[in-house]
Order: sequence, then C-alpha cells, then structure tokens
Amino acid sequence: MLVFRERTKIGRFGSSRDGRMRSTRFSALWGILPFFIFCLAFEIVPVLVLVKESFFNAGGFTLANYAGLGEKVYLAAFWNSIRLSGITALIATVLGTFVGYSIFKTKSRRIRGVFEAFSNVTTNFAGAPLAFAFIIILGANGVVTILFMQLFGLQLYPQFQIYSYAGLVVAYVYFQLPLMVLLIIPSFSGLSPEWREAADSMGATTWQYWRYIGMPLLAPSLVAGMVLLFANAYGAYATAYTLIGSRLVLVTTQIAFVVTGEVLHDPALAKAMATISLIIMAVCIGVYRLTLSKARGWST
Amino acid sequence: MFLVLFSVYMLIPILATYLFSIAVRWDRSILPEGYTFDWYVQTFNHPYFLITVKNSFLLATYTVAANLVLIVPATYLAYARLPAAKIPIDVLTILPFGIPRVILALALVTVYTVPVINRSPLLLVCACTVFSMPYMYRPVANSLDAIDLGTLNDAAMIQGANARQILFYIVGPNIINGIVSGCLLVFSAIFAEYTLARLITGARFKTLPMLLVEFTRRDGRVASSISVIAFTVALLLSLAIIALAQANQRRGEQAVSGAGKNT
Repeated sequence: MLVFRERTKIGRFGSSRDGRMRSTRFSALWGILPFFIFCLAFEIVPVLVLVKESFFNAGGFTLANYAGLGEKVYLAAFWNSIRLSGITALIATVLGTFVGYSIFKTKSRRIRGVFEAFSNVTTNFAGAPLAFAFIIILGANGVVTILFMQLFGLQLYPQFQIYSYAGLVVAYVYFQLPLMVLLIIPSFSGLSPEWREAADSMGATTWQYWRYIGMPLLAPSLVAGMVLLFANAYGAYATAYTLIGSRLVLVTTQIAFVVTGEVLHDPALAKAMATISLIIMAVCIGVYRLTLSKARGWST
Repeated sequence: MFLVLFSVYMLIPILATYLFSIAVRWDRSILPEGYTFDWYVQTFNHPYFLITVKNSFLLATYTVAANLVLIVPATYLAYARLPAAKIPIDVLTILPFGIPRVILALALVTVYTVPVINRSPLLLVCACTVFSMPYMYRPVANSLDAIDLGTLNDAAMIQGANARQILFYIVGPNIINGIVSGCLLVFSAIFAEYTLARLITGARFKTLPMLLVEFTRRDGRVASSISVIAFTVALLLSLAIIALAQANQRRGEQAVSGAGKNT
C-alpha cells in the first residue's frame, strides 16, 4: 500500500529531481504519521493528563494530593518499593557479575551461547508463573522447605514466609539475576587481556588488578546495570500481586487497587503516586544513559 | 561453581512447576507421591480455559498486527527517506520502557472514559501496543542499521529497479529476520501479559495469565498445569527468537538482540 502511494506521487510530481525529493519526503511522512498520532494518543497525552490531574482536585490547582501522600500507608508503599527494588538490584548486580564473569572466563563461545539463551529464557519466567513456582517450592509445604527440614533439620517456617517481604526478595532476584548476567557479559569484553598481562608483569596481585584496574573500568557498566534492575523491579506488579496481594503495600499494587477499584483510595492520590514514580523512572533512565556512555567511552 | 549454583537456582522453580503439574500429591514428601495427567484433563475441561487461551492469542495477534502496521513502515521510511524522523521515533519507542505498566493502565483509563472505548479490549490492544513497541522497533532498527540502505538503493536504481522492486527484492529480504524476531518478541510478551489486561479490561476480557492467578488461589494443581502450558509456549517462542538471532549472526549481520525485558 505504501509503495503504491509512493509511485503515484512520484509519477505525478516527479518532473524535476528537487520536486521528487520533496514529494518522497512528503509521502514518507504519510507513512510515519499514523505512528506519531498513535503515540500521541496512547502514550504522550495520557501520561501528560495523568501528571496534570495529579495537581488538581475539585477546587482547582492544588498540592493537596501530594500532601496526602504523607499518610503512613503511602510512605510505607514508597519505602517498601524502593527498598525491595534497591536490595534485589544490589543482590542481582553482585551475583550477576560473578556469574557473568564465570561464563565469560570459560572462553567457549558455545557455553556462552547456551548460558545467554538460558538467561534469556529464565528472565522472562516472571509474573504469575514465577510467583506460583515459588509458592510450590518455598511455601509451607514446598519441596525446598521439606528438603531443608529433612536434610539439614532446618525449619524455615514460621520465620521465613514466601508470602512476605523476604519471599518477594527471593522471587525478584530470580528474574533480576539473569537480566544482570545478560547486561554484564558484554562489558567483560571491554577489559583487554593486555592490561591484565601488564599488571601481572609489574607484579600486581589478582586483588590489586581488580581493585585498581578491573573494577574502575567495570564500574560504569555495573551502575548502569543496577539502575536498570532497580527500575525493572520498581515497575513490577504481577509477581508481587500474585505472591502477597495486599499483605504488603507497594507503589504498584496500591496504584493497581485504585484502577481496579478494589480498595477505595482517592484516585487523585494514585495519580500523584504515579507522577512521583515517573520521576524516579526518569532519574533511573538518566543515570543509565549517562553511565552507559561512560562505559562505552572506556571500552573504545 | 558459580555456574552450577546459578543453574540450580534458575532451574528449580521451572522444573518444580513441571513436576507439580503431573504429581498426584506433593506436599508431604521430597518426591511426588505418584504421577497423573488429571490436572491437564481438568484444565482443558474447564469452561474458561479455551476462552482465555483464545483471548490471549487474539490479544497477542492484534498487538503484533498493530506493531506491523505502525512501527515497521515508520521505521523503514525514517531510515530510507526521512532521517530527521529517526530520533523522535527512537525516543517514542523506547519511552514505554520507562513507564511502568500499572501507570500506563492508570493513564489510559483516566483519559479514555468514553463508554465504548473505556476498559474495552480495543483500549487493551492499544495499551499492549504501546508497551510492546520497543520489542518490535529494536530488531527492525538493528537490521536496518546493519545494511547500507542508501548504497543498496542507488545500486538498484542504476540497475533500473523501481521502488516496489527495491522494497520487495532488495530491502525486504535483508530486514525480514528483524521483523520476524520483532513479531515473536511482541507475541510472547503479550501472550504472557497480565498487568495491562487485569487493570484495563478486568473480568470482561479474561486472558490466560488472569486465569492462572485465579487458580493459584483456588487450586494449585490446575494452576501448575496452566503455568506449564503458558511457559512452554513462551519457551518455544524464545528458542525460535534465539535461533533466528543466531542465524542472523552467522549471516554476518549485526545480531538482533533477543533479550526481552519483561516482568
């Protein structure tokens, strides 16, 4: 269809080269326009309206919606979301770096390919299926719970509960870890083997190599990976909802309760929460881009 | 050592789900007390199962179609004729990564309150399209980056090819892998999508993940068989995407990243 349109345009206006250039650009715009209109209608405008409405109530412009977030439950939601995202991002960054390095160190393209595919598949095992899998293995009668008891005499319950904050951490790390592995493996290629040899020949220990050469070079990639994981966990909803429902307040579950109308919160407060969350996301993306450009600068 | 622990941690939940779905009973012992396919039979006989599979399938298919109509022509035309449009397209397609789905749903139901559209499957398709745009855009843009469109175009023109021939015989074969990768990524992301469906349409348009969440609270054995079915579909799609990406790599093109970001 597109092609057809282009041809008729060229045929009609294409007498001079200049005219043809202009008309192909013009016709190209017709093909791109639906995309822009769609984005405007379902992406940009709704988000802007949401942000705008967070500053309004029945009486007009107000900051009351934001003041309303000072209530205990909303502060708890932000604190829980930030703490959960921060801890799981940190755990996944540290473990993911070690796993990623182990994969990189094998030097086998085959092994690397297999583990990358494996990470790819498992990082998508998230949401409801993941929450359910953890209920099966770490629930009160879960197989790992029983295994711990029979093998090590370790009673997980009632100190640990899968339907709790600790349970959420275990489940979140599950989808965060493979993502970090995928993100970090390429950055190891940036550490050129010559630097290691140079450090060795000058008598540096492994610790010194990592402390003074390896880590500073990797640092931007690690920070970039970590903020991405933070944002990833912060926006997650399905896993948390399936696992804990309303037992623990999170920003995403609170906003969702307003949308589904299950709990009667003030919609304006949800919009204020959403606006603050968008700012947090924007900061994450900003830091991500900044550190990533730094990481790229190193590796060239 | 790290790799072994990593593999164990990553494999246990998946294997446990598969095993649980064929276990007679598995809450008192380390291994199941017997094996059965009853839960699958029950799942397939459940009145809602086929409806939700169909709904998820339709939702994913329409979203793929919307992506094909909106993203592919826009990306191609920006690369081929209007480079000035590249940056805005880039920003608009990557932006959804920064908008949590809960917030996207809230924004859409806030704005679209008109009776016909409000919380309709149509609005859901639009929401899913916004959310899945990066999955289609990245592979297509990568495959367009990998070829020198200008030179190919000039060469073809010199040989006397018209615009249509260029598109179908020159550009098409070079970017078709990117498009197919994008379609598979979008399909697999939306087939498993829970958040948007639950928040936008709710019970009016039940999808497979919604049925799964319902059953995790009611009957774990049926839930495990639904979970296995959903994961197997996702697994097959992922393997197809990875195989495609590797085929691309072998062709010496830039790899199409199969990495999906999905929670």
